[in-house]
Amino acid sequence: MSAQLWVSVVQIGCFFGMVALGYYLVLEGADLFNFALGPFAMFSGLSASWLMAEQGWPLGLAAVLGIVIAAALAVLTEVALVRPIDARTDGGELPSLIAVVAVLFAVEQLAGTLFGRQLRPGRSWLPDTSLDLGPATVDGQTLILIGCTLVSFTGVWLWMRRSKYGRILRAVGGNREAARTLGMPVGRVRLVAFALAGLIVGLAGQLFSAKAGVSFQSGFGWALSGFLALVIGGTGSVWAPLVGGLLLALAQTLVPYYLGSASLDYAVLAIAILFFALRPNGLFVRKVRV
Amino acid sequence: MNAVSTTRKAPPGLPGWARSAETGRVLGTLALTLGVIAWAGGDLFRQDLAFLGATYALLALGMYLPFNLAGTLSLAYSAYVAIGGYAVGLVGTKTGWPLPVAYLLGALASAALAVVLGFATRRLSGFYLAAVTMLFGVAFQSFLLDAKDITGGAVGIGSIRPLTFFGGELDRHGFIVLTLLIVWLVAVAIDRIRRSPFGVTLQSSRDVPAAVEAAGVGVPALRLVALGVGAAIASLGGGLFTTANQTIGPDTFTLSLVMLAIFMPLLGGQGSAWGAVLGAVLVVELTFNLQIFERSGSLIFGVAVLAVLLIAPRGILGYTGQAARFLRERLTRTSRTPTEGAGR
Repeated sequence: MSAQLWVSVVQIGCFFGMVALGYYLVLEGADLFNFALGPFAMFSGLSASWLMAEQGWPLGLAAVLGIVIAAALAVLTEVALVRPIDARTDGGELPSLIAVVAVLFAVEQLAGTLFGRQLRPGRSWLPDTSLDLGPATVDGQTLILIGCTLVSFTGVWLWMRRSKYGRILRAVGGNREAARTLGMPVGRVRLVAFALAGLIVGLAGQLFSAKAGVSFQSGFGWALSGFLALVIGGTGSVWAPLVGGLLLALAQTLVPYYLGSASLDYAVLAIAILFFALRPNGLFVRKVRV
Repeated sequence: MNAVSTTRKAPPGLPGWARSAETGRVLGTLALTLGVIAWAGGDLFRQDLAFLGATYALLALGMYLPFNLAGTLSLAYSAYVAIGGYAVGLVGTKTGWPLPVAYLLGALASAALAVVLGFATRRLSGFYLAAVTMLFGVAFQSFLLDAKDITGGAVGIGSIRPLTFFGGELDRHGFIVLTLLIVWLVAVAIDRIRRSPFGVTLQSSRDVPAAVEAAGVGVPALRLVALGVGAAIASLGGGLFTTANQTIGPDTFTLSLVMLAIFMPLLGGQGSAWGAVLGAVLVVELTFNLQIFERSGSLIFGVAVLAVLLIAPRGILGYTGQAARFLRERLTRTSRTPTEGAGR
């Protein structure tokens, strides 16, 4: 396998890792897999691309607006949908699952209606820079993606250790009822987790759409990949989603390389079934001594 | 009170079954089904709408059993329907077997798949089943394009022979009668399952799984049965649709079909299997017959699902039932007042 493919593995892996980090935050805060995170990332990338191409916006402004929109969509999902439905159904799992699947579909169709149904190219943040490593070249966009991934993960890791809300989020993730009984602001922490997840996947969508472009249907695949990355990595540590993302990216690059492109979807399904059946908690599991 | 209610009973000549609400429901829906058959008549466009409505209704009924009753969300319904369709395509072009064999084979294959996918995630939260079935839908879509020897690739399978019935070829109108009667039969059956002991156990396993487990019923096995039966029904819908169109391709049943499958029972009302059928009729009416939404139709659906989830969790039938009960109570109260006055 050529060295250039490894650069691609790292690039895709960082993207999957960031989406999985979004899943991780929502899972800790709300005990819910927010499948709509993939479409949020798509919406961020697609709206920025549309603003640049059709409205002539500068890159920075369009990118910031795209990320803000993703975060706003995440907050809106929690405030307008998940929370009222949770309150009505006593926190049942099925109603919130339907709600996020419906949001997935609605956001996808909204993007298709607003920005058109064709594939749009993203624009690189650093088009003129590239790093020559001898056998492989890393372009500027990949450098930015790796940098943003490291910053996001380090940021979330520090936030969950040092800050007030981050520590409350860990407490809520560990035991919701106990956290509520202790008088912690569970609802507000949930909202912060949703917003942070929206910001992170919004950024990820911006950075990744420059690689292969983005269309209104990209979010569906991204949502599944991010979910799988989290399942592979597990929720034992903040860094687990990144490991899961890199492993999934490795599998997704190796399988088409050796077995042909059509086998990719089968391989992903096989990986999912294997992990679900044998190791549903992922590779990194938090061990609690009692 | 007792005296009042005995005098208000139906005339004594009729036997018990003729007076029950169930008979009313069964006969009433049969009359509606016959009405739709008469409406479709010989008009080609209306016939197409009727076939589409019947397919959607079977899809929604297939979703209703595992999702609305047992509380498990499988998202591979586009694949189940396509399996039913391709079974008809393969049997109809490559073998000399009668087409009903294809319905059976398609249903068995879909049910087996649903059970395998459910089995892999049987002890996990519903999110895992949703994800693995979504992945299966994606993988199946690329299988349809990729396995050209079996599925015909992007072209699909065409010129499938029509259904024969007692030696004669069934014409389009006859097939509509058959299809709609099958839908009616399945809906009646599922509605009876809902109120049977099995259905009650299913619904309890959705609401309080621990209690059902404690009563000695294996909840995972129960859910697998529901998933399998649901997939088989959806696959039958795909098979009938393909028989009517005599062609099938990878674009016939797309991934977004599953959104309709979730949406239809919610819109119509989860309280009865007929809600799923009503939802299917509404979807066909809104998307194809009115054609006011055009390309933004799917967006309207997405928003409508959210609205139904938020504002009207009981769906149309649920609210109609509530309104009917409210009216009946008002009417009985006004008619009871003079009797009570006389008794005092």
